[in-house]
Amino acid sequence: MKAKAITLNVNGRRHQVTLFPNVTLLEALRDLSYTDVKNGCEKGDCGACAVELNGKVINSCLVLAWQADGAQILTNAGLGTMESPHPLQEAFADAGAVQCGYCSSGMIMAAKALLDENPNYPSEAEIREAISGNLCRCTGYTQIINAVQMAAEKMTQQRAQE
Amino acid sequence: MLPEFELLMPRTLPEALEMMDESSRVIPLAGGTSLLVDLRGRISRPQTLINIGGLDELRGIRVEEGYVVVGSAVTIADLKRNVLIAKHGQVLQQATTVFANPLVRNRATIGGNLAYGSPAADAAPPLLVLDAEVELMSKDAKRTVPLKEFITGVRKTVRHPRELVTAIRWPIPPEGSVGVFHKLGLRKANAISVLSIAVMLHRKNTEDYAQVRIALGAVAPAPIRVVAAEELLGRGPLTPEVIARAAQLASESTQAIGDIRGSAAYRKRVITALVQRLLTNLAEGTKEKKHNESKGYHS
Amino acid sequence: MTVKGKPLPQVDLPPLRQVGRPLRRVDALGKAVGATVYAGDFTMPNMLHAKVFRSSEPSACIKHLDVSKARALPGVACVLTADELPDGKLITDMPGQTGQERRKGSDAPVLAARRVRFVGEPIALVAAETLAIAEQALELIEIEYEPLPGVFDPLEAMKPGAPVIHEPDNIVSSWKIRKGNTEAGLAAADLIVENTFHVPFLDHAYIEPEAGVAWVDDQDVINIRVCTQVVEHFRSIAQAVGVPHNKVHVRGTMIGGGFGGKEDITVEIFLALLTKETRRPVRLAYTREESILAHSKRHPFIITHRTGVKKNGRITGAEIKMISDSGAYPYLSPYVLLYATVTSCGPYRIDNLKVDSVSVATNNPFTSAFRGFGGAQAAVAYEQQMDEMAKALAMDPLEFRKINYLKTGDSNAIGQQIKSAVWLEEEAMQALAALGEKKRVSDDAIKIGQGFATTMQSYGRIMWFHDTSRSWVGIEQDGTVVVRCGAPDLGAGQANSLCQIAAEVLGVSLTDVTFYNSDSAVTPLAGTTTATRQLYMSGNATLKAAKMVREVLLDRAAEHFKEEPNSLDLADNKVFIKSDPQQWLSLGDLSKMCAADGLKLQHLALFAAPFADKLNPENLQGDIFPDFTFSAHAVEVAVDTQTGEITVLKSVGCHDVGRAINPIAVEGQIQGGSAQGIGYALMEEVQVRDGVTRTPSLSEYLIPTAKDLPTTKAIILESGTGVGPFGAKGIGEPALTPAAPAVANAVADAIGVRIHDLPLTPERVLRALGKVVG
Repeated sequence: MKAKAITLNVNGRRHQVTLFPNVTLLEALRDLSYTDVKNGCEKGDCGACAVELNGKVINSCLVLAWQADGAQILTNAGLGTMESPHPLQEAFADAGAVQCGYCSSGMIMAAKALLDENPNYPSEAEIREAISGNLCRCTGYTQIINAVQMAAEKMTQQRAQE
Repeated sequence: MLPEFELLMPRTLPEALEMMDESSRVIPLAGGTSLLVDLRGRISRPQTLINIGGLDELRGIRVEEGYVVVGSAVTIADLKRNVLIAKHGQVLQQATTVFANPLVRNRATIGGNLAYGSPAADAAPPLLVLDAEVELMSKDAKRTVPLKEFITGVRKTVRHPRELVTAIRWPIPPEGSVGVFHKLGLRKANAISVLSIAVMLHRKNTEDYAQVRIALGAVAPAPIRVVAAEELLGRGPLTPEVIARAAQLASESTQAIGDIRGSAAYRKRVITALVQRLLTNLAEGTKEKKHNESKGYHS
Repeated sequence: MTVKGKPLPQVDLPPLRQVGRPLRRVDALGKAVGATVYAGDFTMPNMLHAKVFRSSEPSACIKHLDVSKARALPGVACVLTADELPDGKLITDMPGQTGQERRKGSDAPVLAARRVRFVGEPIALVAAETLAIAEQALELIEIEYEPLPGVFDPLEAMKPGAPVIHEPDNIVSSWKIRKGNTEAGLAAADLIVENTFHVPFLDHAYIEPEAGVAWVDDQDVINIRVCTQVVEHFRSIAQAVGVPHNKVHVRGTMIGGGFGGKEDITVEIFLALLTKETRRPVRLAYTREESILAHSKRHPFIITHRTGVKKNGRITGAEIKMISDSGAYPYLSPYVLLYATVTSCGPYRIDNLKVDSVSVATNNPFTSAFRGFGGAQAAVAYEQQMDEMAKALAMDPLEFRKINYLKTGDSNAIGQQIKSAVWLEEEAMQALAALGEKKRVSDDAIKIGQGFATTMQSYGRIMWFHDTSRSWVGIEQDGTVVVRCGAPDLGAGQANSLCQIAAEVLGVSLTDVTFYNSDSAVTPLAGTTTATRQLYMSGNATLKAAKMVREVLLDRAAEHFKEEPNSLDLADNKVFIKSDPQQWLSLGDLSKMCAADGLKLQHLALFAAPFADKLNPENLQGDIFPDFTFSAHAVEVAVDTQTGEITVLKSVGCHDVGRAINPIAVEGQIQGGSAQGIGYALMEEVQVRDGVTRTPSLSEYLIPTAKDLPTTKAIILESGTGVGPFGAKGIGEPALTPAAPAVANAVADAIGVRIHDLPLTPERVLRALGKVVG
């Protein structure tokens, strides 16, 4: 197997890495210290590894790093920080949507994808659909839905003020 | 961890076909949602993969000479929101709404779903009732194969090792045609089909009896058209008796197996019930030219 | 059924400032922004990667094992088999306790030596420079099995002549209850109802697979960073590895879900052995498939109820038989069986009760703790049995239960008096009221059903374990607070509750509290995060410690203000005179004053649960658990009688939690627990045939997605009668216990016939309706 130099733009940072072809984007991101991207199943069943790849939320375990060469990648850690959290992250923290937290990064990315497409007051059914590929074993999803609706409300208000 | 393999990264379709011509052991990779899972599970161990998901020539949805033509690398998510598909491939669009989950849909491709050749491929039954064809290209040749001849068995297709599935096409259904897709899984999202059904009524311009097409998934080694039932239904008006008999024929035409998701007997029974239900709903809608009210709890 | 809510007994709980408020949990934001580091997120320089070689046979002798090729592979640092291990035994029961003896026959080998008893049993360990090399090395291990006859059904395993898993026989454990005179009780009945229920193997399916990193430090201490519910395993780890207890340091992480599956030792001993051997850091992370194969499962049970009842609805006697599948190694099977036995008849007054329960070894995957711990399985049976009896009597299911409910002051199945509030009636009524009228549908094929279940689930461990917990609370010289407590946090807010309690007592905000937890060397040992015990045990310990700090502060402040301590209070980071709040000191200044006087501002408190003696297994009569949580859950379902598909339309959980430390967290537990219960009822099953798991990943083992569940309405009641801090009870396990039987009862209501096996798959529905045969 021959390794190749590729470029991964992650959360606004440019990484040049030399990788074998059989390395998944999940593995590459975690090796670059983006450990907010979680390994839950490595086969697309759980959504814990969800990241945005060129604007689309996908399972990073099902993308080869080479396939993401030159791409723009956004992970949950790129959305906000403890000092300055994204409204979704804040809402998750406040609504009880975070229990063990292991699904949270992937879940937030899936929720963000929904709000990008449907920013104004997504319905419960729309939210359930959008996160149907993200398994949560702790919350039963209700407080996650509350959080997404809270975040949508806040983000709509913020946009109105701008 | 994935096993070792070489990965070819062509930038154009001709380059891809050239690379595939050089070896008969190159496996095409697009969305990877089936293939990479197999590789990780050591179900297959190809030496070389060729990345075709990003090739521009394999994307795009257009209408051409009375056909809808969809590039093989078009994702299920793209199909789900496309207006041409809404208009001319509504039964396929229904399937996209219950296909896997939103994350997988953003990567899985229509070509990949067919080329993988699973008997449970959710895109197959709708495309079968749309009378779809698969376009295959190799370095020096191009051919079109009817979808009903494309998948021949479990994970078997007629694609030659040096060929790529480049597009899927179907004739624009006549005005007033209506179809429905139903997937049965053991949970309401992110589930492998226990069985799936696509039914379509093709209306002609006159008040002639509508042509019915029925396709089933996950109940035979390949997705199938239920020709016997279609012939019966095409002979006269869609009465409850004829529908019941057709549903029975559909069930008998299956080669359902028992597996961890259900027994053969269960699948056969539900095929009968669901084909009957779907045909009845469609027939009532067509007869009364009324918008069909959705019943039950299936969104 | 429509039921009006009854007014609740008036409870006056003292007003609190932090406790009882829906505050953002202390760990929530770190997790939400992806900053929290989980066990699999740690890396160290010079780190090796480990893999475990596991048995592919359910029952076999290892005729020949050759790891030489694996050892010789470049990049492999070491390969360990049973031959290289000192003693090689893994203690499989009673973690987290001192002074308890290991039971005979309860040990599993760390690595199988000559015999394997289940598919997935560990045989060898590999550590290599990269994960890829470690995986390659696994493939180079050569093994020859000689299959032995295996047994895969507990009923078969109990028969004479069955293959024996562990000498002398396959009976791992048994318990009996002989209360009153059951023969007479049944004879006096007007009606006898008999049913047998089956529940399957379940997987915990936490989203975080097991993982950890271990290294040896400059004091020769083996450090293990791991997601574990029990840091006290350091003793068993030390024993298995052959080092003194004080040479193992377990550094627990924030766990990505436990539910009992990370209660037994998982990766710890493997890591310890490899790091001890190589003297380099070693990382081991299970794949999902490996997790499903390697860790415990929920016990399958066969439960038979034979109950006598009078026409007026009074139960006269009950005979219950329970058989659980212990799998290939005992682990916590005896205790799961005990819990099931004690709650076998449910929260009902039954004076004549005969229970025989047995846990049986097989060559199936081993079974152990899973949220509910036998109580959940028992509830699936007893609540369906109650509905069946009501049906036989043509009585309303709730009216029938009301005639038989335990009340405060009554004794339960084993004669333990219930001292706390028993609000079963109120809970059932509130849950049913929240369901409202049955949905109307126009489609004949769709049937709507409503059902409920009322259950009891203990909180706090078995009292003959002499359970204790310790917490250390201190105030810094700037008035901020530190809590150190060994309690592992599963994700259910265990750490947060302790912080909220400390904040309450010391008059600070939750954001002024920092916690350190789950460290076997550096935080006071608080016992296992299991058995719904942490709020009760560590909450009380923290309360105690915080009060000790408070007393020091108030005494010193009293001197300063020249007042009595009880005329002062702590709030808003200040100490002040209650009758004249303009006179105050900041807590920072007060702490500095205390420090200057050499006063003790950090206090370690121990909380001990009541100690009791071990009960007689031939007739369990006495006190076992500190207390119980009584719960209700109600569900409305739609059943498609042509396909068998079941949709849960509404779900309501109503629980008396004594006192909700954080209502949002309690709601979250109720919603999450009921989601697991709904999964249990409808779709979860680890299918095992001849010892082989046929549901190896999350594609085959199905847990509910967001589209499979409605919003669960959580109704929190607070009686203030729990033995936890501020009158709290426990909610972790009780949240799950009533949900599965509620669904089963709703489905039976919808289709008019009872399905006796879980999960209620679409196929089972059609078979119950007679639509599928063969």
